[in-house]
Amino acid sequence: METSFALTGKGYVIIAADTTAARSIVKMKVDEDKIKELGTHLLMAYSGEPGDTVQFAEYVERNIRLYQIRNLYPLRPPAAASWIRRSLAQSLRSRNPYSVNLLLGGYDQAENKPNLYWIDYLGSVVEVPFAAHGYGSYFALSLLDRYHDPEAPLEEGLATLKRCLDEVAKRLVVSPSKYMVKVVDKDGVREVEI
Amino acid sequence: MARRYDSRTTIFSPEGRLYQIEYAMEAISHAGTVLGVLAKDGVVLAAEKRVTGKLLDLSGAKVRGGYGGSGEKMFLLNSNVIGGVAGITSDANSLVNYARTVAQQHLLQYNDDIPVEVLAQRLCDLKQGYTQYGGLRPFGVSILYAGYDPHYQFQLYHSDPSGNYSGWKATCIGANNGTAQSLLKQEYKDDISVEQAISLVLRVMSKTMDSPTLGSEKLEFAVLTYDETAKQPKAKIYRPSEIDALLVAEGLAKKDDDAEMKS
Amino acid sequence: MEYNGGSVIAMVGKDCVAIASDLRFGNQALGIASNFQRIFPVTDRTYVGLAGLGTDVTTLRERFRYRVNMYTIKEERDIEPQTFAHLVSSTLYEHRFGPYFVEPVIAGLENTSSGSKPFIAAADLIGCLNFAKDFVVAGTASSKLYGLAEGLWEPDLGPEDLFETISQTLLNGVDRDAFSGWGAVVHVITKDRVVTRTLKGRMD
Repeated sequence: METSFALTGKGYVIIAADTTAARSIVKMKVDEDKIKELGTHLLMAYSGEPGDTVQFAEYVERNIRLYQIRNLYPLRPPAAASWIRRSLAQSLRSRNPYSVNLLLGGYDQAENKPNLYWIDYLGSVVEVPFAAHGYGSYFALSLLDRYHDPEAPLEEGLATLKRCLDEVAKRLVVSPSKYMVKVVDKDGVREVEI
Repeated sequence: MARRYDSRTTIFSPEGRLYQIEYAMEAISHAGTVLGVLAKDGVVLAAEKRVTGKLLDLSGAKVRGGYGGSGEKMFLLNSNVIGGVAGITSDANSLVNYARTVAQQHLLQYNDDIPVEVLAQRLCDLKQGYTQYGGLRPFGVSILYAGYDPHYQFQLYHSDPSGNYSGWKATCIGANNGTAQSLLKQEYKDDISVEQAISLVLRVMSKTMDSPTLGSEKLEFAVLTYDETAKQPKAKIYRPSEIDALLVAEGLAKKDDDAEMKS
Repeated sequence: MEYNGGSVIAMVGKDCVAIASDLRFGNQALGIASNFQRIFPVTDRTYVGLAGLGTDVTTLRERFRYRVNMYTIKEERDIEPQTFAHLVSSTLYEHRFGPYFVEPVIAGLENTSSGSKPFIAAADLIGCLNFAKDFVVAGTASSKLYGLAEGLWEPDLGPEDLFETISQTLLNGVDRDAFSGWGAVVHVITKDRVVTRTLKGRMD
């Protein structure tokens, strides 16, 4: 089943999402990228109702790009989180709401610090040191409570993430087979192998 | 001949000019002076008030709360931007109201104070519209924006009735702006501090204003700085009593005999 | 109300008021964050606390800030707590048949000719106001908070005693509630300052 994790560390945010696109009980695809690069320093992992997810992610991507073109500088992560939250909150009370859950990770170049936001389909936002969506969250959050260090270097952060992925693989009946992992820090976004 | 191309804002003259825009700018060059100076740790604005007189009721500026100022030239547009206006006061009021609404909508949408340049751009979009769409008069207002945002820290912008805007280290709009500009050009130094900027602004102001002495009844004054403890910009529009105190401190207050003549 | 959890309480003291809430943000039984602020400053001497669905807490917080900022800048004075309470009430009632799932609590000091007077109020999710003279509660632990406040509160408490009373009421109240807790924040508003303290709580 769909699962995504994210955690912050010293000057970076790591986001991981599974890569399966499923329909009913069938895996249709095992190399789907569910982490969108919204800007040079902004990442968004999305999960939820198939169809809604890609549609909403692209809607966000294009709007954030438009703001950057119009205003010469990109939206900072807190402002982007607020904008996305508002879109979801408005959608919630419309005729057919998007049901998309997000993890938004970014590096704020004005204040030189990483930001991570947990966002659900209702439009709730909380800024957190680590977060997860999907069934994996029931396993990962307690592990991260124990092992997360906000000052850890990247290698340690990736090792902590690995613990979460392993735990999910071990204990969850419907665990995903493959994950995509992306990192954002002062140098921008990049994919890493795990 | 020129009159044939006067009646509408949308019509070019054969020389390629838009007369109504030029008239609007002319109106501003007769209005009270507004002066702005950008310092490394703040922005300073000063303005000359034209509507004065013994019978004018100024009690509104003295009530508790609010943000200071008499509401003629200086306006708080958002918690991070002060606007100084020169031109037709009623037009300015409408633009100020628009700016405040735009700033609050940005705050609502992005949970973040509007960047100064974006606010200036939004007002210019509105002003530009009135240079093009038929039958309407352009806004007869120039505005100085003194602001702070995390992208470019302290900034000073100027916008005119045509919808052009530009960023400045020090500039002036309204009557005698030529004199003031050249004075500023001579005296401005990079890396100037807020204190130095305040005295520079007051000195230039005293030279460009029609009356020989400065006083709170003819002067409005505002400073934007950054509050390190609250981690946010601090906009201060001076109350009349504070302006008088500042003038005394700067040694530019009225002579005592003036006060005697008044009583 | 039980989806994200959370509780708010406000109490009157002698020339002071206090407002406090927990910091938990959950997804039903799963805790997501322990830093969710649900009390917001309206002016220097008025605070509003919003218990209920997280998304609506944020939406309403932004809407109230918009309305209050426009009020302050146009009226050139701060909004009074009583006026703000009616703003809250009418905003909620606008959505009478598709409401925001939020129970607001307002605490502040009113400006009177003889100085200032404590003010507290609470409302239900469609804006029915309840002006109380002693204390108001809201959120998933409200029933427990009522019981504790009934026992601990007494009239004319000074700022320090009021802080102790509201803190004990809140912390012990949320311990009996599965959806509230995970730390707390308390604001004590007096004539010339607001004291904000963050409290540690049980993390279970």
